Amino acid sequence: MEETVKMTAAVPAREWLKKNVTTVASYGGLIFCVLLFTIVTPIKGESIWSAEKLGTLMSNVIVTALMSVGAVFIYAMGNLDISIGKQISIYATLMVLLGNTTGSLVPGIVLCLLLSLVFAIINGASGPLFNIIPIIPSVVVMQVLSGIITIVYAVLGTRSITLRTIDYSVFKSPLLMLVVLLVEIAVAMFLFNYTRIGKYAKILGANKTAAIQSGVSLLKFRLLCYMIAGICFVVAAIFQMGYTGSASDSTGTGFEMNIMVSLILGGMPISGGMRSRISAAVVGSFTFALLDVGLPLIGLPTRMTFIAKAVIFLIVVLITSRKKGGALPR
Amino acid sequence: MGEKVLQIRHMRKEFGPTVALKDVDITLNRGEIRGLIGENGSGKSTIMSIASGMQPPTSGSMTYLEKPWHPANMVEAQAAGISMILQEANTIPGVTVAQNIFAGHEKEFSRMGIINMEKMYREADQLLEKFGIDRIHARDSINHYNFEDRKLIEIVRCVTDDTRILVVDETTTALSLEGREILYRLIHRMAEEDDKTIVFVSHDMDEIIEHCSVLTVLRDGEIVGELSRAEMDAPDAVQRIRYLMVGREIGEKYYREDFDSSHGEEVALELKDVPWGPIRHFNMKLHKGEILGFGGLSGCGMHEIGRIAYGIEKPEGGTVIRNGKEIRTPLSAIESGIGYISKNRDREALVLDASIEQNIVLPSLRSLEKGIVVLPGDEHRMAEKEIESFRIKCYSGRQLVNTLSGGNKQKVSFAKWSAKESEVIIMDCPTRGVDIGVKQAMYALIEQMKKDGKAVLMISEELSELVGMADEIVIMKDFEVVKTFKRAPDLKQTDIIEYMI
Repeated sequence: MEETVKMTAAVPAREWLKKNVTTVASYGGLIFCVLLFTIVTPIKGESIWSAEKLGTLMSNVIVTALMSVGAVFIYAMGNLDISIGKQISIYATLMVLLGNTTGSLVPGIVLCLLLSLVFAIINGASGPLFNIIPIIPSVVVMQVLSGIITIVYAVLGTRSITLRTIDYSVFKSPLLMLVVLLVEIAVAMFLFNYTRIGKYAKILGANKTAAIQSGVSLLKFRLLCYMIAGICFVVAAIFQMGYTGSASDSTGTGFEMNIMVSLILGGMPISGGMRSRISAAVVGSFTFALLDVGLPLIGLPTRMTFIAKAVIFLIVVLITSRKKGGALPR
Repeated sequence: MGEKVLQIRHMRKEFGPTVALKDVDITLNRGEIRGLIGENGSGKSTIMSIASGMQPPTSGSMTYLEKPWHPANMVEAQAAGISMILQEANTIPGVTVAQNIFAGHEKEFSRMGIINMEKMYREADQLLEKFGIDRIHARDSINHYNFEDRKLIEIVRCVTDDTRILVVDETTTALSLEGREILYRLIHRMAEEDDKTIVFVSHDMDEIIEHCSVLTVLRDGEIVGELSRAEMDAPDAVQRIRYLMVGREIGEKYYREDFDSSHGEEVALELKDVPWGPIRHFNMKLHKGEILGFGGLSGCGMHEIGRIAYGIEKPEGGTVIRNGKEIRTPLSAIESGIGYISKNRDREALVLDASIEQNIVLPSLRSLEKGIVVLPGDEHRMAEKEIESFRIKCYSGRQLVNTLSGGNKQKVSFAKWSAKESEVIIMDCPTRGVDIGVKQAMYALIEQMKKDGKAVLMISEELSELVGMADEIVIMKDFEVVKTFKRAPDLKQTDIIEYMI
């Protein structure tokens, strides 16, 4: 028994670091960015902590963060959804169109929520039902939505539409953004950590066969995860549309990639599983947005920011996605 | 005995806080079949995994063929002549048998970057023939072969003319009688005719005693004894080795000692006229308080019976019934009080990346719910209770399952259903890859389950445990029941084997 005692005593520092290298790296990335921009930007005569810059930061981060938090439920299961960008686009378009016809945003939002349910069923349920990998239906959804969006804007005869009568200035408030984000994070963390939905999502990502043999209903819980994510996407679409009060045929383009990059920057394993965390979405999207706001402030030419972001992304991936060794050979 | 091939001095290996090897000295000689025996977690696999380049030691030195030996990986070790056949499957799915055998050696068959597949197939077939394996063909996709055949293919891949040390790590647990014979012939030929060194890692004492020329016993990361051939032939050798392995007398009680095969009247689980694939019209009744054993060779259909009874495989007709309700999915099985321990522990029974606690509570999460909330405190209490009652060796319930040894992993898969308080347990090879100490505990547990009125469906490839534990043994062959045996003091394995093959 002497050994057991020794074990517990030896665990702390080094072991903890070894086990949590991903967390350390992802939080480290965020802290590094914050420090860098806090120290360097004043030299250039600007401050990242100015109200204006914080507002820009918040508006930059809000849509990605809201989406990424929802996407954690999908990524945790080891699934990918590449239709997210187009979903945002169609939601934003519908909100503006219905807003202009009815004079209120509510019908548009309700319709989008219903629509998100349809997408959740297609993306989440068709996999287990027809035995196909879930990225396939999401490709189909993406393409169908692209087609619909093209037709809609062709019929309208314009490339962008704007809210005419509704006052949308409230959605520009950084405070509201912060509050909504915090509420969404709180609800998501609760569902992810303290209910079967999140626990099962992680288990499904780690070992689907064992999950099913332990009584996890793949169909039911995959559907639930896609539904939760869908609601988060609708909320994100509201802010995407609300910031400018408009939607266009290019709204949402590439968002699914922003989500992927944010999640990886935040330390989310791309294959899902037990190490999935909601915090990855938050940390990742803030790092991502900070780079966007901060890099030009420290004097990096705008045309270079993509390269700088790619380099930072690469470094984080090298640290977080490395194969973990050190398990007993059996 | 020949000259020294590999010398290991003061080897130490730590995995985080766990010390797998303390300070091990061992010398391997030419022409010997060296047995390494010890309980799970004794470090017996670790020694050779270090020598064959799978992982580096924490400290210590190795001398191979009179030169310092620091293999960077398994490929380097294999090229230098140290090959290891692993416990778990290690073949590449989706390609042919020949591609598996010559994986990494494609250059030998290629000209200007194009591989001559005909030549590869021809040579692979010749190799298979040389090993006496005629039922495997080089052109076939490896997916057509079962676990056992893949193991044989792996052996063919590992062993070349340049092999000086062949490490066979618990391989025989995956092999049937025929596969074992092929392996035994091979190691004897290599050691006795070609003067090569075989390291035979196992915890099956009969096998070790029968085939090894010298035996090293490990316990808790230390060498506790070495036995010569003469010592292994001594009448008390089994007791002596067992004592060395466990470090205490484990007593004579191993299997059940009673021969009372009575059980409750109530049917706990019934298969009615079930067809599935090659299985036709299968009927079975499992009663409360009964241990029903299923035996046969690995391809006889007995594993499928367990999977059908648990709702994993959908029967093409007939019904699986418990308490008047039909079982269609694992979920409905669990809800009606059935638990299932898969033969494929690492892939189906456990989530290796999850903690012990997360694994134990997994089937019970639904019953732990308060509204929709699962409180961490409830999960923790449930897991702690099982960890304690099963004596799972760990420093905390948060420890990941993939850091546990085989026996402790198996305890976790039992604990899942004990926590769920399942009334019917279907166990497929419950003691596969588990050492004596844990086995003894498992048997005691199964006996207790019977006493508690639980129903146990015990599917096993080990006849001795069926004879030792089951009230009734059903023997299957070619997907049919060929014979059933009642529990009896004079029932012998040899009486049963003839019905199996």
